[in-house]
Amino acid sequence: MSTTLPWGRRYLMCPPRHFGVLYEINPWMRTEVTVDSDTAFAQWERLVDALQAAGAQVEIMPSQPGLPDLVFTANAGIVDATPDGSGRPGRFVPSHFRHPERQPETAVDIDWFARRGWKIERLPDQLDHEGAGDALPFTPEGGRTVLVSGYSFRSDAAAATALSQLLGIPVRLVQLVDPRLYHLDLTFCPLDGRRAIVAPSGWDRYGRKVIEALVPEPLVLTEEEALSFCANSVVVERTVIMPATPVRVGRQLEAWGFEVVECRVDEFLKAGGGCRCLTLALDVRLSPEPAGER
Amino acid sequence: MATETIEVTGHILDSLLLPKILDTILEAGCDYEILDVSIGKTNVDPSRAVIAVTGDDEVLGPVLDDLQVHGANRTVQPDATLVPAERDGVLPAGFYSTTNLPGEVRVGGRWLPIENPEMDCGLVVRGDRAVTVPMHRVKAGDMVVVGSDGVRVAAPSKPRDTQVFEFMGSEVSSEKPKGLLVARVADRLRAARERGGKILVVAGPAVVHTGGGPELARMVEAGWVDVLFAGNGFATHDIESNVLGTSLGVSVEEGTPTEGGHANHLRVVNEVRRHGSIAAAVEAGYVTGGVMRALVEKGVPFVLAGSIRDDGPLPDVITDTVAAADAMREHLAGVQVALMLASTLHAIATGNCLPAGVETFCVDINQAVVTKLADRGSHQALGIVTDVGLFIRELADELMGQP
Repeated sequence: MSTTLPWGRRYLMCPPRHFGVLYEINPWMRTEVTVDSDTAFAQWERLVDALQAAGAQVEIMPSQPGLPDLVFTANAGIVDATPDGSGRPGRFVPSHFRHPERQPETAVDIDWFARRGWKIERLPDQLDHEGAGDALPFTPEGGRTVLVSGYSFRSDAAAATALSQLLGIPVRLVQLVDPRLYHLDLTFCPLDGRRAIVAPSGWDRYGRKVIEALVPEPLVLTEEEALSFCANSVVVERTVIMPATPVRVGRQLEAWGFEVVECRVDEFLKAGGGCRCLTLALDVRLSPEPAGER
Repeated sequence: MATETIEVTGHILDSLLLPKILDTILEAGCDYEILDVSIGKTNVDPSRAVIAVTGDDEVLGPVLDDLQVHGANRTVQPDATLVPAERDGVLPAGFYSTTNLPGEVRVGGRWLPIENPEMDCGLVVRGDRAVTVPMHRVKAGDMVVVGSDGVRVAAPSKPRDTQVFEFMGSEVSSEKPKGLLVARVADRLRAARERGGKILVVAGPAVVHTGGGPELARMVEAGWVDVLFAGNGFATHDIESNVLGTSLGVSVEEGTPTEGGHANHLRVVNEVRRHGSIAAAVEAGYVTGGVMRALVEKGVPFVLAGSIRDDGPLPDVITDTVAAADAMREHLAGVQVALMLASTLHAIATGNCLPAGVETFCVDINQAVVTKLADRGSHQALGIVTDVGLFIRELADELMGQP
């Protein structure tokens, strides 16, 4: 049994009170498609329940009228909860959204984190980066945490350099090439110190090599599996909460000793988001610390 | 062709960004040169690469836009620093010293082409023109480029028609079939002629000593020479050989010294001086044949540059070397091929003024001359190590058939 993920036990979520498909900024969004608010709310609550049942804590950020995608808290920014001795909860690097439709979310996100004492670190203005949606940490067994950062559709490659300098950790860049898989978290889901769900169909050949070098035992998705959004899953220790579970993928996860919980969030798929998109891990520690067995 | 410099910073090795960028450049048909790489010491330290990308104008822009997606940005090019010259003939301290390669200067955000590439000059900006200016011709108040900011030079590129150059393989060739080489040089002369380019001949006295004079005269008469540079010696011996039948006192026909011949060239110089100029001596019927006569009769310009050990010299010789070099520069526009025939000093002096794009053939029995020319910056020069008299004869036959 491999070490479990050192993070993923505390999440920030935002209820879908104002959620809807009000604009189109990815190939999944169709404004003519209506979202069933009640169903959306029920699905979201089931996700909260599933997370709590798996042992995770969930914190809630109030929703805001006019910001339908605030519900996708993964895109709020990048969290580093490494203690710095100041007593603060950690550092938060808010996103710079590429699309003007989502840019007003940043002020709300900053407000939430700042009020709770998080240190706010800003990226240079001209660089786009969409937070944990495009950047996920992978901590190889016995190795150092690396931030894997996707770029092209929503984030700039150059933002990775700024992030690395800001956070003091290595960042590996992966170019995203399939507009349907527009965020890294649709193609990459770290499972533990050896494994990750990966969707190489979403990456260029260099990106594939980068991940190949980083992840010893990848669960490689076919293009079709990737488009089910099954990589957009939330991992709480050995529980994987998935928006969809292709049979082969579920079996492999179980063979590796994970418990698979399918949590349908179809209303959110209409906006191009799955389980991971609806959550932002608040306990990610990016800075070096002893990698103990947990 | 244009060159732009890009810079990329970050974990460019671990993220395979550097290979990706280099592959992208090559796949687009452009070339790169890595100007600088610094590798981060730890895996947190960012690495940095500075890359010069060269390609056709219409390809380069889109490639650079593609590369920007990967975080590689054009380095911000500063304008050139311009400092007025304080005095005539003196460049400001720290002046940019030119190369003979085509290049551009950035002024007010615009790249101005360097109009007359010449090595070892200052670079002066006049309005929207950038020109190379030899030190002695700088005027007080000329705006001179200082430092190397805002100056970019095209990488030396192979000529589009690489026939001769491929054939040569090595730059200096003493072990190549000369007949074939001569044919290729003739091809280049014809090609230059077809393009409307000028042919420059730089000739040393050995051309006359080795019996190549009449053949070179034949080339002049047939219009294969557009301008000739030489010194007092070449012109003197050319006239001597035609008036007295000797070259430096040695019979051109029989190869034997003639009695009192050591003074022959002095007597010839003296007579030409009596006439006032070579042209006057030709008109008066004193000079009956040879290269100089052919030049005068064809109206082909020549520049005779003096040196300290000249006898006489002939009245046409410009004894102020700086003025002589300026006179040579006057004739360089439009020159596409330069033939350096058994001349060391004049060949190097000419090479110093020529843009790198001029096809230059250096013919000498001494390999060192060719090497010297290249060592002084005329890297475009291709050497043919052979007897110059034989070379000219073959070249003339190749161009015009046997007389």
